[in-house]
Amino acid sequence: MKKTTMMIAAIVAVALIVGAAVGYLLLKEDEPQTLKLATTTSTYDSGLLDYILPVFEEENDCTIDVIAVGSGAAMELGKNGDVDVLLVHSPAAEIAFVADGYGESRDLVMYNNFVIVGPSEDPIGTASASNTSNAFKMIYDNGTAGDAVFISRADNSGTHTKELSIWATLGFNKTEVAAFPESWYIQSGAAMGAVLDMAEEMNAYTLSDDATYYQRVSEDLVPHLNITYSGDSALFNQYSVIPVNSTLWTHVNHTLALAFAGWLVSQDGQDLIASYEKYGMQLFFPNAEGYVPSTESLAGVQVFSEVCVSAPTTRSGT
Amino acid sequence: MVGTAAELIEVTVLSLYVSGMATILGSAIGIPLGALIGLKEFGGKGAIKTITYTLYGFPPVLSGLFIYFIFSRAGPLGDLGILFTPTAMILAETLLVIPLVTGITITSVVEVDKAIKDTVKALGATPKQSVLTVMREAWVGLVMACMVGFGRVIAEVGAAYLVGGNIDGRTRVLTTSIMLETRMGNFEWAIALGIVLLTVALVVFFFMRLLQEREML
Repeated sequence: MKKTTMMIAAIVAVALIVGAAVGYLLLKEDEPQTLKLATTTSTYDSGLLDYILPVFEEENDCTIDVIAVGSGAAMELGKNGDVDVLLVHSPAAEIAFVADGYGESRDLVMYNNFVIVGPSEDPIGTASASNTSNAFKMIYDNGTAGDAVFISRADNSGTHTKELSIWATLGFNKTEVAAFPESWYIQSGAAMGAVLDMAEEMNAYTLSDDATYYQRVSEDLVPHLNITYSGDSALFNQYSVIPVNSTLWTHVNHTLALAFAGWLVSQDGQDLIASYEKYGMQLFFPNAEGYVPSTESLAGVQVFSEVCVSAPTTRSGT
Repeated sequence: MVGTAAELIEVTVLSLYVSGMATILGSAIGIPLGALIGLKEFGGKGAIKTITYTLYGFPPVLSGLFIYFIFSRAGPLGDLGILFTPTAMILAETLLVIPLVTGITITSVVEVDKAIKDTVKALGATPKQSVLTVMREAWVGLVMACMVGFGRVIAEVGAAYLVGGNIDGRTRVLTTSIMLETRMGNFEWAIALGIVLLTVALVVFFFMRLLQEREML
């Protein structure tokens, strides 16, 4: 009978879905306690977190739920009490975040490097720039003259914030930068990798973290791009850890958040970060307060703090 | 990163679970709602239809934001703690399914109603019997509504990413994996996952089509 057939079909469909649900729940049984970490796409996509987090999870018998979004979004999640701890790279916003009472404390963890990436032949000669500000001046002058194109993340990410801070050294505020003509200043709103792909297609300059650039190089996706300027301390990309204020949000896993922050800046945590290598080089340079590199592999890496603006030395990659 | 077979299965199962539940919930709401709007005469019906069809274009990220604001710790239902869980994802996806199912149901029942109304009346059916007959005759359209709803959510990434968080082993589904792999430059992996998604959809739609044609035994 048709009706029976229909019923059977419907039951089979429901059973399949319920089966999937039960299967899923069974997989999720016996959860140890969890820590919700909001972080930026760069720490996650570079593979650093997959390298260091299992060590902490093992030691503390816990699971870390990583939510990888932009720094701006990560702080918004912290503000609303939706995560326990932040690992972000947007210093000015972080300081305000803690000052406003959303974050409990802020500790420097590590930095990586931003680089200016552009067409391999570097037509406007940023390689000869005296500093980062000067390189941006070249881009601006050539851009307005119609000889260069720059692609901005334009998405409130840590990279975008860094870019704005460099424009600020030339006297342009955020509104003025946003009003740069589209003829040479492209506001993409895309993730770093996508912006690099765009720069490759458009023969454009952009500001990138070096990890994402090397990743694109390793995939052979950006054959016409090169790092045209790097090494200035103004291009350091500082990451900090901020436990969400537990007085404001009593439900957060405060104990574990503090343990995690403490571990990141400990000798063990810092050494572990320093030992992470990808594309044949070290990508993240630990610089917690009082940390002294303890392995030979770190010889040559200069420890800096935000107040100290010494020039970096060459990277220690093997 | 979806590296092992176990992870791939987990991600696929979760995709099916979230999309399936959202389709069931969305249809459970949308089909009665669509039948009501389609078969009952009332004022402002045209406006309600227009609004329903407009919501076909409801942006998934907006649906995600809506659910985020409700279930964020700072929101009205924050104490439930369901943000970044599959439940939150199901709710956001359900919001996307409802207008589609409602709209297609309206269209299907109205067409059937037009064709058989007089016959049914002539045979002396009670209003309840006549509604049931219309629904039975509209079967093809109703299953179509569910298929379109499922198709929308299995392929959706914006809401799933926002309220799920793309957490490894917890809220990562096929679409958010594809997005992650693309962002990481693993284009081949992204394409492979896309093929997995389409294969899963193929199986689901195969069964739904059998259901639609009442061929299933």
